[in-house]
Amino acid sequence: MKRAALVAAALLAASCSSGSQYSQAIVALVDVSGTYADQRPEVVNVIRKGLLPRLTPGDTLIIIRIDSESYKKDNVEASMTLDVRPSKANAQKLQLASALDDFSHKPLRAAHTDIRGAMMLAADYLRETNAGRRTMVIFSDMEEDLPRGVKRDMAPDELKGVRVLAMNVKRLGHDNANPTAYRARLSNWGKQLTQHGAREFKVVLEPEKLAELLEEG
Amino acid sequence: MERLYFWPQNPAASLFALWVLSQIFLYAARVPMHRALREVGRMLGGVFRVGARWCRGLAAVASKRDHEMIVEMGRGDTEAKIGREFHRIEGAFAKELARYPELHRKLDDVVTKIDGDFQECATAAPAAPGWTEAVAAVAKMPPNMDGTVKKVLEEIQKSAAAGEKKALNEFRETTAKRHKILSGMAPAWKEVQKIATEVARAVSGALEATKRIDGFMTSYEQVRAEDQKTTRALGWNATQLFVVSLLVMAVALGGAFVNFNLIALPMSELVPSGNRIAGMPVSTVAALVIVLMEIAAGVFAMEMLGITSFFPKLELLPKSRRRIVLVVAVGGLLMLACIESSLAILREQIVESSTALKASLAGVKEHAVVRTASSRIPVVGQAVLGFILPWILAMVAVPLETMISTGGHIVLSAVTGLMHAGNMICRLAGHGMRSLFQALRHVYDIYIVIPLQIERLVGNGSKAAAVPTGSARGARP
Repeated sequence: MKRAALVAAALLAASCSSGSQYSQAIVALVDVSGTYADQRPEVVNVIRKGLLPRLTPGDTLIIIRIDSESYKKDNVEASMTLDVRPSKANAQKLQLASALDDFSHKPLRAAHTDIRGAMMLAADYLRETNAGRRTMVIFSDMEEDLPRGVKRDMAPDELKGVRVLAMNVKRLGHDNANPTAYRARLSNWGKQLTQHGAREFKVVLEPEKLAELLEEG
Repeated sequence: MERLYFWPQNPAASLFALWVLSQIFLYAARVPMHRALREVGRMLGGVFRVGARWCRGLAAVASKRDHEMIVEMGRGDTEAKIGREFHRIEGAFAKELARYPELHRKLDDVVTKIDGDFQECATAAPAAPGWTEAVAAVAKMPPNMDGTVKKVLEEIQKSAAAGEKKALNEFRETTAKRHKILSGMAPAWKEVQKIATEVARAVSGALEATKRIDGFMTSYEQVRAEDQKTTRALGWNATQLFVVSLLVMAVALGGAFVNFNLIALPMSELVPSGNRIAGMPVSTVAALVIVLMEIAAGVFAMEMLGITSFFPKLELLPKSRRRIVLVVAVGGLLMLACIESSLAILREQIVESSTALKASLAGVKEHAVVRTASSRIPVVGQAVLGFILPWILAMVAVPLETMISTGGHIVLSAVTGLMHAGNMICRLAGHGMRSLFQALRHVYDIYIVIPLQIERLVGNGSKAAAVPTGSARGARP
């Protein structure tokens, strides 16, 4: 009888778990350098329409700015973990939407593009959330241009278990002249990120597709 | 295959050599191979035969158990019916017999009254004696001109007429009095008729009950005698009950699903949905628990009402305690219904809030369907549904009990059917195995037909040499 009670207690303890492993954490990296700085209102719109409504209580959303030196805490534009109560979660979403509106109207334009720095910062935050599904959504032209003296070496397991989605990748002037270079650039990113433990690297063209991919997990 | 060639550059010669070798080998190994094939066939046939026997035995055991269960179920059912009828009769008799002395006294009073009235009717005033004959004699007398006589006669006639008139009046009065008494007796007759009808009704009710008991007793005797026809009827009845219960349970399951969906979302406002149990959010588990609690409360309520009998211990409770448990169960159901109703309203508010949030995030200023969204009909509908569904779910106890009680028969019937099918398949497989290995032996012989024919010819030749007139049929069987 005692043994059965112990087994039952062990089973109950094993079956009970924190909800974090079932929640998802999304980090949106928004490029504010060069020509991509003008894309901010569109990016904010995608986040408002495509990301925010699909978040459920317990999920985390972090917005990080990509500028000349992105591995700074100041680059975190907004961060929130939704409350377990739906009514509070809705209020938080509205608050974040307001913060995003402010971000889209800020006069920001960086001279260089430190994508990997932002990725490393995002990886730190994602690890901290301990979420079951971790996704990094990059809104950039994916053309890195580090300032002199800045070094970015990612650890081999920097992006372990993280899914990286490149959304709204803007084609540069020379990309139109030579699409192969654009494809090669994205392919290189894919190889580099998967080498650092990323679960997947995918380029997303349509905002609706982004929502679908996030729901797939 | 090419690795087996003796001369890879000459496959035909290699194949021929292989064929010749196989012929020689198989011819030499013919007798042991035949024996081996026969034994393997016999062994596999035996295995299947044992399997068939096992299936048949299990089917017989399951059928016997099923029969016992059906008979026991029928016996219990009939006993319960007879008990209920006796209980009814006992109640009716207690009620009617308690009323009987009063009824009897009433009947006695009425009869005494009628008797008295009747006696009174019988006493009539006596008619004046001789007057009629005297008047008739005076009337018949011849006319006499004597004035004195005439006057005397006229006086007599007058007196007679007056007496007759008086007697007639008295007679009329008496008759009127009798009629009055008789008309006064009518309500008493009606009372007697009413009492007689009541008695007749009570007696006919008792007679009907006894007829029913007779019927039940007949079927009880048949069940006790384990009559085949009765057992089949009981089995069919159990199957019918099971199917009906299954259908009702399926409908109830649909209701439970609707109920669960109605409260799952608002439960996340009450219970933190951060933690999970077996992968399910706690709020979802809580909603599920509420639905199950409603069913449990319904089971207890039905038990206390005497509709179901899941727990024999509860049946032994005194009436007052049973009433307490019933009140607790019904009160719990009412509470849960109210909670569900309020959760249904909360759900509507959450949905409205989410819709407004999505519209706001998408930059839509006004709803396109403002009127529909602001209508209170969905809220009222959901609240009513939230209140009614627990009560409907509480009724599940009845089909659940029926399903459990008849489920044993269904399971045993299914096992019997499956075992019969298994028996048939095993028997067929056993026969097939024996035939297959027999056929393999023939195929073996067909393959080495050339050496066999040579052996036959040689055998014939040697026999012919030894016994010139004998017939040769081959050395081997």
